[in-house]
Amino acid sequence: MFKKLALFFALTACSLIWSQQDSIFHLREVVLVDSQLKNFSDTQNTIQLNDSVIKNNQASLTSLLRYNSVIYFKENGNGMVSSPSFRGTTAQQTAVIWNGININSQLNGQTDFNTLTTNGFNSITVRAGGGSVIYGSGAVGGTIHLNNEIAFKEKFENQLRLNYGSFETFGANYTLDIATDKIFANVSISHNQSENDYEYIGFDKKNANGQYENTSFNSNVGYRINRNNEIKFFSYLFDGSRNFSGTIASSSKSNYLDFNTRNLLEWTNFSGLFTSKTKVAYLTEEYKYFENKALENFTTGNTNTFIAKYDLLYNWSSKIKINSIVDYTQNAGNGSSLSENKREIGSFSLLFKHQITKKFSYEASIRKEITSNYKSPLLYSLGGNLQVFKWYALKFSGSKNFRIPTFNDLYWQGSGNLNLKPESSLQAEIGQVFSYKNASLTTTAFYSKITDMLRWLPNSSGQWQPTNTDKVSIYGLEALFHWKKDFTNSSIQLNGTYAYTVSENEDTKKQLIYVPFHKATSSVAFRYRRTTFTYQNLFNGVVYTSSDNAYELKEYLVSNASISYEIGNKKPLRLGFQVLNLENKPYQNVLSRPMPGRNYMMNLTFNF
Amino acid sequence: MIAAIAVFFASCSDDDNQQIIDDLPLGAYDNGVLILNEGNFGQDNSTISFLSNDLADFQVSAFSTVNPTKILGNTAQDIGFYDDYAFVVVNASNKIEIVNRYTLEYVATVDTGLDNPRYIAFANGKGYVTNWGDASVTTDDYVAILNVSNYTISGTIPVVEGPERIIENNGKLYVAHKGGYGYGNTVSVISSTSNSVTNSIALGADVPNSLQIENGSLYVMCGGKPDWTMDETLGKFVKINLSSETVTSSIDFATGNHPSNLVIDGSDVYYTVDLGIFKMNLTATSLPSTELFSTNSQGVYGVYSFAVANDKIFVGDALDYSANGKVYIYSKTGNLEKELTVGVTPTGFYFN
Repeated sequence: MFKKLALFFALTACSLIWSQQDSIFHLREVVLVDSQLKNFSDTQNTIQLNDSVIKNNQASLTSLLRYNSVIYFKENGNGMVSSPSFRGTTAQQTAVIWNGININSQLNGQTDFNTLTTNGFNSITVRAGGGSVIYGSGAVGGTIHLNNEIAFKEKFENQLRLNYGSFETFGANYTLDIATDKIFANVSISHNQSENDYEYIGFDKKNANGQYENTSFNSNVGYRINRNNEIKFFSYLFDGSRNFSGTIASSSKSNYLDFNTRNLLEWTNFSGLFTSKTKVAYLTEEYKYFENKALENFTTGNTNTFIAKYDLLYNWSSKIKINSIVDYTQNAGNGSSLSENKREIGSFSLLFKHQITKKFSYEASIRKEITSNYKSPLLYSLGGNLQVFKWYALKFSGSKNFRIPTFNDLYWQGSGNLNLKPESSLQAEIGQVFSYKNASLTTTAFYSKITDMLRWLPNSSGQWQPTNTDKVSIYGLEALFHWKKDFTNSSIQLNGTYAYTVSENEDTKKQLIYVPFHKATSSVAFRYRRTTFTYQNLFNGVVYTSSDNAYELKEYLVSNASISYEIGNKKPLRLGFQVLNLENKPYQNVLSRPMPGRNYMMNLTFNF
Repeated sequence: MIAAIAVFFASCSDDDNQQIIDDLPLGAYDNGVLILNEGNFGQDNSTISFLSNDLADFQVSAFSTVNPTKILGNTAQDIGFYDDYAFVVVNASNKIEIVNRYTLEYVATVDTGLDNPRYIAFANGKGYVTNWGDASVTTDDYVAILNVSNYTISGTIPVVEGPERIIENNGKLYVAHKGGYGYGNTVSVISSTSNSVTNSIALGADVPNSLQIENGSLYVMCGGKPDWTMDETLGKFVKINLSSETVTSSIDFATGNHPSNLVIDGSDVYYTVDLGIFKMNLTATSLPSTELFSTNSQGVYGVYSFAVANDKIFVGDALDYSANGKVYIYSKTGNLEKELTVGVTPTGFYFN
């Protein structure tokens, strides 16, 4: 291990020193492609995780959000399939939005958060609460936004990040940013791999067959044709291979391949009070599952999605914004157990924002979809933001959201049910924001009622079929805390999140499985001159693993510590060392799938 | 349990009853039924519940009570009794846990030589375990031969796809090829002397899901292919002469009726279709027109497991496959006598 590390540092240090060169550092002007996230999110909570937070965490979206948001993750062992529960909802009720486009799987409706690497994004935003009017299906518990920024400002920057740690975990990311006042290009390549053969604490066993590797490629380019017209092209490719580990008492021989591509072309036109965006997107997803990786046999599924969107923003006045979006989406999919099927959805949304006074604004929006596949409800939202005092603001909103049946729900051979309705959710929340100097505390109480919840259940002949069955009531409380203070040679930053969530099946009065009543995270970062210490904690309360709440997984508290040191000023070289699961605690977030004990990670970041 | 012992000693003081001496319990789990709960595929939550014959003594997780440090495993499928031992076949864990059948105390584990093991039977002092092999491969299915003294797999007998239930008679083993991930339509005959397949009996119907031997004949219940396969076939009750190893008679089920859970109790034949329990005479030449009773009033999701013993009918209900399952015990006329909450997904009853 140490030999390898020494070699790793020697090689990387030598090969990179020569390539350092000067360029002028610019502060970035943030231009979000997902303009609704900026313009129509004032009445709900958002947390933006920027570059530095992304880099201080592990490369998967699961670890980033597990330690920095209220979202609970069910992870089938480290690096394996990972699905979220946000505000007490199911995996299909959190939507992942890539540069404004919903990228949840068309096959199963959810996103596997271990098939998204965080490195290729400028920021990741967590937006709590409903967002179906803007983002469509699955934006029920909340949405996760993966953002790339485009800024036409002189720039030339290279960054190489390398990390190596326990279980032969290796990661590398190279990012190039190059821009003038006319063109912009941001290219990022990442690779992550691990033997992932950690020990199951308390069992004489290792995580066998848990190896993974993935490569992702992000490319974001822009061209400013003239003052009024810009063309942008975003592209994100993910290619991953994982062996799926077994349980404590069963081994596995399987392998799973993911290959996903996302492409978005956007033409922006600024014309007086109007900003129009014409977008065309093409997304593909494909999986292959090998029950026995030594054999050629596999099962597969794939979909491709074509989206055409016209987004017109009208700045009526400095106080009123009106935004209309017309969207046409076509999905086609097939697979081992899915016959070739196509689905077309048209939608129209109208968003309205009015800043009545300096202190009070409100947002109202509606959306209607037209499709032959299911009966689509009218979706709407209404919210307000009142700055009562300088230090106190009130936010409130209510919305109707939905999650549409997936390709698997509709077309799975022998099980697919063509008579499904979308799940729908009616929700309301009220939040208070307390700000004082560099500190802020946000508390939000939320309530939602989900009807026609889709569940796969066996029918009387034992055949599993999806049906609209459950009604779920969800209520809870979220608190977010942030404090930052700068001193002459040092700075300190505190962050905390806490969520109390009751998510109850109305018929059985039981908590939904894998929804913790309590989840909390905290982090403290202390910088002195060039050295930064970070300490993170995650508390996860009890979760039930069976629908009758007869079985549960114990609560756990795990912590991570890291130290980093920067050399150089303009283009610093950063050295870091992390200890994860500092106290070597055994824990599981999915039954029978232990997570790693204490493990280590070293990282190096070169800017040139 | 203490109460049961007290009752036992109290009745023993009569002293002149040989029958009671024969019934002397060999362990806490004698004179009752082991209920195997398979749990969920992909989770190590298989359990064994116990219910005494008088229905008075019940333990929801007997295996882990006796063996608190042992994990039974992922998707236990079957239990076979041999001598004083119970062999628990754990499908997704690819293992057999061997415990004392009366005390449930751990004895040994067989964890090599098995690949997707399903059911077990014994013949000629050996165990025979059906194995599906890889789901995606139709040519790697086999019956593993288990040495019951050193608990190792001593050999394999290749068979056609999807060997499921296996029973023994007179040194021969009969394997129903339900079909694994496809649909089978044969019964293999295996000689325990030569350890080879000596015959394959074509059933003339698909999906043989249960079989039993009575009066020198083998009876097989074929479910037929369900309608969602887009190739629905009829269910069939098939009788096979064991000396000629040929089908001598069969009764077709109506379209849409897919029977399973064959149990022959003396001259009575029991089977289930969806939520209904049916009964007919072994010599009947046509099916009963009405069910004996329905489990519908118990809100049963579907009859997941079924047994007839001790003058009672046992029905296991897996509910939503997440919650603890239910076991309903009926009189032979269908009166509900007992309802129990067992482990997750009750898959079989084994009478000790």
